[in-house]
Amino acid sequence: MREKKGLHFLKRRGIIEIIGISTVVVIWQLVASFIVKKTYLLPSPYEVFFAFYTVREVIPIDIYISLLHFGIGLGAGTAVGITLGALMGGFKLVDRAMDPIMEILRAIPPIAWIPFAIIWLKLTHYSAGFVVFVGAIFPILINTYTGFKSVDKIYIDAAKVLGCKKGMSLIKSVVLPYSLPYIAAGTRIGMGIGWMCVVAAEMFGASGRVGLGWRLWNRFYALHMMDKLVAYMIIIGLIALLLDRVFRYFVEETTLKWRKGMVAA
Amino acid sequence: MNHQLELRNVTKAFNTEEGKMGALEGISLVVKPKEFLCIIGPSGCGKTTLLRLIAGLDYPSSGEIILDGKEVKGPSPDRGMVFQEFSLFPWRTVLKNVEFGLEIKGMKDKARKELAERYIELVGLKGFENCYPYELSGGMKQRVAIARALATEPAILLMDEPFGSVDAQTRNILQEELLEIWKRTKKTILFVTHSVDEAVYLADRVAVMSARPGCLIKCLSIDIPRPRKRTSVEVNEFREQLLMLLSLERSKACISV
Repeated sequence: MREKKGLHFLKRRGIIEIIGISTVVVIWQLVASFIVKKTYLLPSPYEVFFAFYTVREVIPIDIYISLLHFGIGLGAGTAVGITLGALMGGFKLVDRAMDPIMEILRAIPPIAWIPFAIIWLKLTHYSAGFVVFVGAIFPILINTYTGFKSVDKIYIDAAKVLGCKKGMSLIKSVVLPYSLPYIAAGTRIGMGIGWMCVVAAEMFGASGRVGLGWRLWNRFYALHMMDKLVAYMIIIGLIALLLDRVFRYFVEETTLKWRKGMVAA
Repeated sequence: MNHQLELRNVTKAFNTEEGKMGALEGISLVVKPKEFLCIIGPSGCGKTTLLRLIAGLDYPSSGEIILDGKEVKGPSPDRGMVFQEFSLFPWRTVLKNVEFGLEIKGMKDKARKELAERYIELVGLKGFENCYPYELSGGMKQRVAIARALATEPAILLMDEPFGSVDAQTRNILQEELLEIWKRTKKTILFVTHSVDEAVYLADRVAVMSARPGCLIKCLSIDIPRPRKRTSVEVNEFREQLLMLLSLERSKACISV
């Protein structure tokens, strides 16, 4: 394909991306200052930038607390999700017994668990963590299950011929490594949902007066400080992005290197 | 140990929706130690089933399979197998694939690595130890599979059309290499194939199977000294004999369908 020489510099990595973001920010600024003209309806990027500065002291503690809630929930969700998924994938009886319960529980939005999270676990970090857990567990469970179910028979046969006898050693040497990409994909989806749940749970005050979600709702929204609110929205989005990138880097680039040649992307 | 494999009146039927379907019918066969035996037959005659029974991955409906005086009851590393499909564990490197059986045995790290490296060298893949299967060609994958099967030092190597999915030239090379490996390791090899050329080039003895339900119709000793020439007169005579037997079987199969 032939291209005009003048536009060639666009091909360099990062250039197009920066132009894209800048364009959005400029349009946003123009709309905010010349069309809307009201901070509480649409704070401009300029105002948001200053809002970051004014709230700089509480940002680290809120991020820390929200990540703590997220960590508790995701940790529990991964542990329980993988275990249950493996049991359901490995044993037909467990599968049949658990499947309807899981399908019903899965249909309940995690947010609906907030009242019970507060009643059972009081206003502790665990109650926000519990909501994250509910949000994260199902994609992890279902993907682990799918992974366990889709192991090619040829690998099982090959392992048996090489001396793998007991179920446990088959699971450890064949089924688990085979399922790892599935589990990783489920965890990635679970992380996304879990992060949304952190914000929601904190908004409802599930863990007392802390966290990104709590401050966003109970301080900035309650006082109509929309510029600071947008600043927090951006932080929440950026952290989600960062978590995803870090996860992908560690899991896909290192643990799942063998998948590289096998998938289209 | 002289590693003798004996099949006594082995029958296998599968339960299908239309009722019982016979796959193998009264197979009796003695495989001598260090023999290279090829099993050949029309497609669908149960060659693979027979090999799976010997491997212990399936059980005969009746009859017995006896190795070294003991009845085969389930898979064991004393019968190595190379599958028709690519069966390398994609999450393991070449070295780790070959080490798999040794890991299960509980062999120590260092001894395991040394032994695996020896077998990788034997199949001519030195330098590829740290590659993942997706980085290898079809022929290389099957070489690793052979190394993996040999690493646990089985008495018998079972091979189910191992070179079926590689190109003709690679296949010729792999056949020569296999003969070399056979000579060096002194294994008994049971090799299933649908290719008459392959059988005549490789085997000490060729067992011809009938169409389904498969039974042995003839055992042919290929007494041509090695190295054999693929185009020699003797080789062609055996090929002709085998082809005739097979075409007879094929026509019978057509009638029964």
